[in-house]
Amino acid sequence: MNRSQSNRGTSRHVLVLLTRISLLQASRRLRAVLHQSRLLTALIVGFIMGYVVLSFWIFHKGLTFVEQFPGLGPLLTERMIFLLFAFLFVLLLLSSLIISYTNFFRNRETAFLLTLPIAKVQVFRWKSIESTLLASWAFLFLVAPLLAAYGLTRGVPWHFYAVTVVFLSLFIVLPSLAGSWIAVGLGRFMDRRVFQVCILAAAGVFLAGAVFWWRAETVTDEMLETRVLEVLDRLLVKTQFANFSFLPSYWLSSGIQNWAEGAFTGAVFFCMVLLSHSLFFGYLSFTRMGDPFYEALSTVQSRGSVLGRWTWFQAWQQRRASARRMRGPLELVFGLCFWLRRDTRAFLVKDVRIFWRDTSQWGQTVVLFGLLGVYILNLRHFSHQLSNPFWINLVSFLNLGACSLNLATLTTRFVYPQFSLEGKRLWIVGMAPLGLRRMVLTKLGLASCASLVVTLGLITLSCGMLHVATPRLAYFALAVVIMTFTLNGLAVGLGVLYPNFKEDNPSRIVSGFGGTFCLVMSFLYIVASVTLLALGAPWSLGGGGGSLQTISGIAGFLLLSLLLGLFPMILGFRRLAQFEI
Amino acid sequence: MIELVNLQKRFGDLAAVDGIDLAVPRGEFLAVLGPNAAGKTTTIRMIAGLIRPTAGSVAVAGFDVQTDPLEARRRMAYVPDFPFLYDKLTPAEFLRFTGELFDLSPERIDSASSGLIERFSLGPYLNKPIEGLSHGTRQRVAIVSALLHDPEVFVIDEPMVGLDPFHARVVKDVLKERSAAGMTVFLSTHQLSVAEEMADRIAIMHRGRIVAIGSREELREKSGAAGALEESFLALTREEAG
Repeated sequence: MNRSQSNRGTSRHVLVLLTRISLLQASRRLRAVLHQSRLLTALIVGFIMGYVVLSFWIFHKGLTFVEQFPGLGPLLTERMIFLLFAFLFVLLLLSSLIISYTNFFRNRETAFLLTLPIAKVQVFRWKSIESTLLASWAFLFLVAPLLAAYGLTRGVPWHFYAVTVVFLSLFIVLPSLAGSWIAVGLGRFMDRRVFQVCILAAAGVFLAGAVFWWRAETVTDEMLETRVLEVLDRLLVKTQFANFSFLPSYWLSSGIQNWAEGAFTGAVFFCMVLLSHSLFFGYLSFTRMGDPFYEALSTVQSRGSVLGRWTWFQAWQQRRASARRMRGPLELVFGLCFWLRRDTRAFLVKDVRIFWRDTSQWGQTVVLFGLLGVYILNLRHFSHQLSNPFWINLVSFLNLGACSLNLATLTTRFVYPQFSLEGKRLWIVGMAPLGLRRMVLTKLGLASCASLVVTLGLITLSCGMLHVATPRLAYFALAVVIMTFTLNGLAVGLGVLYPNFKEDNPSRIVSGFGGTFCLVMSFLYIVASVTLLALGAPWSLGGGGGSLQTISGIAGFLLLSLLLGLFPMILGFRRLAQFEI
Repeated sequence: MIELVNLQKRFGDLAAVDGIDLAVPRGEFLAVLGPNAAGKTTTIRMIAGLIRPTAGSVAVAGFDVQTDPLEARRRMAYVPDFPFLYDKLTPAEFLRFTGELFDLSPERIDSASSGLIERFSLGPYLNKPIEGLSHGTRQRVAIVSALLHDPEVFVIDEPMVGLDPFHARVVKDVLKERSAAGMTVFLSTHQLSVAEEMADRIAIMHRGRIVAIGSREELREKSGAAGALEESFLALTREEAG
């Protein structure tokens, strides 16, 4: 047997071994989750099933509604599908980039494998496959109900669903590969500081571009009634980019659509386009990326700042080094909070500093806020076009739901893992006079204040875009303040109840049982709260404030918020009292 | 067996390893001492192939770690100060996994591991999940897994961290025996007594350089300090610092 044959054999052998180990570990994790609590497991499974059924129902209703537009239905449906997959392509790319970066350069298994007789390219292959699976499962979860609804609306044969799986499998390869390549490039050429500058600049450019491209244009009632085609034409022009024929999302959408319409030759063509690109770039990735990957890993693990080559930066670093014994800007800011004790202030400074320095954490926030920016800017369209009070009411409550869902994402992703992230360092605080109880309260206070800035800003901005009257804005603002404290209490309380001190990676902590439970509870709370607030709004009955419905709606919301915010905290404190550091 | 030629590693402006030339022959037990940030771990990471040197080269068993990494790693074992183990596996499964990665047959894995498992008292833990094991037990599992393929070169960073006196003794005995049988050991430690007791030669690193290397007596002579190794160490590193 020659050397290359032997290497191919070894490569397969290594991949089989690693797959076996991963499956074994995954099955044990799943079993551990199932053993935690049958009730909670059932709740999470029920939530997931509920999501699938509900989203299928919404997609089906929406697609059926759009399809009924005389002469325009199929055209609009087509554009919606193209647009959706174009956005999902970008999201999948970003998700792959973040997961690949963490998986390549911050994963202890990667370093372990590189000390074993495994070729660099094999380690890269394994980590790429792992990142692809981690990045794309949510995508598949998201599009499955949509495609099922699309198939049902179009009355497609059974084989459409089987072919769709093939299309999706080929499609996810491309953004995943691109994400892994960009991650290697970032690792090789950017350190934290350069990355921070770049990500903020990119977010700014993206937001400015979105503002320019999707700027609101006045659509008068007259235009809507008499010149529907012109309005539609504008819409299609604005979304034309989704039909750019070099986008993989275009190949996917075209393939699926062709198959649904029975144009099998066209579908096979697009399938072949996807296949050939996946194979070509996959081959490049699986055979040529070993050295760049290793180069990037070595650079990440051994880099001083790239900026350090420039003299102005060196001088600035030296000034900073000499000033380090003095108070930094964060100390000065928190120093203004004179009512806080010194140890509490020190703890707050530590938490903010660590968050800022972990770019992968707030990098994801920038992405989230970029999307929110686009969402808020688009609210202007509603204010231009809605005159019926029912629709204004509905949209303003949906907006409250959207702001709260954003808050729930923030609290689950960033607040829930805070206690676990203290990890092996928990003793530092546990043994200090600050104590664990006050530490948890400090975290709650910091998270609530930071969230309030976000949520109050969002609700004010979005209500302003919708031209919501001041009393109603005050109602929404008050509601969102209460929801902020509740969701933070829930996240902090559950974070203490289900700690994971073994993980340093917050996204892995969140993906555990407690994090999933926190997300499910937050979503259920938001759905219940928005419903209760809509029922309890003084204007919901046409000015019938003071009615039984108003009182019960608001009282129900307050009671629910109190229970859900306080109960996990009480349980968490009980747990803390028995905590062994 | 291990050959470092003009080895350098820079982290931005900082020279973490600043031109090391060192040859460790077959069967030698070399202990590397040094104050914090002396460059010990960076040197070890370059030997293990985890980071690329800025300049110079590392060869293990005659194979350059950068240009022929697979051949070098087949002959080497590396145990870091906090070794990685798969939490959801049991030690038995982990040992089989690492053995298979080194292409050992199941029979060879069994025969190689059984003696080590007994010596390191791992029997009672073999089928328990690694996530529940103490740091010391995990360290023992990592050392046993690293010894399974009978490496020619053994690189270990702070081996005694978390080990009780009994198992620290076992580690010392096993490494000494293997070294006597021809395995080259490159050990980094802060524990002077470990170096003094076990090493054939001791290298003292400071600010990225080897400031002294030799037997216990040679170091004493070079430092001009009488008494224990501690005196020589302090004299050599203080002198450099000044």
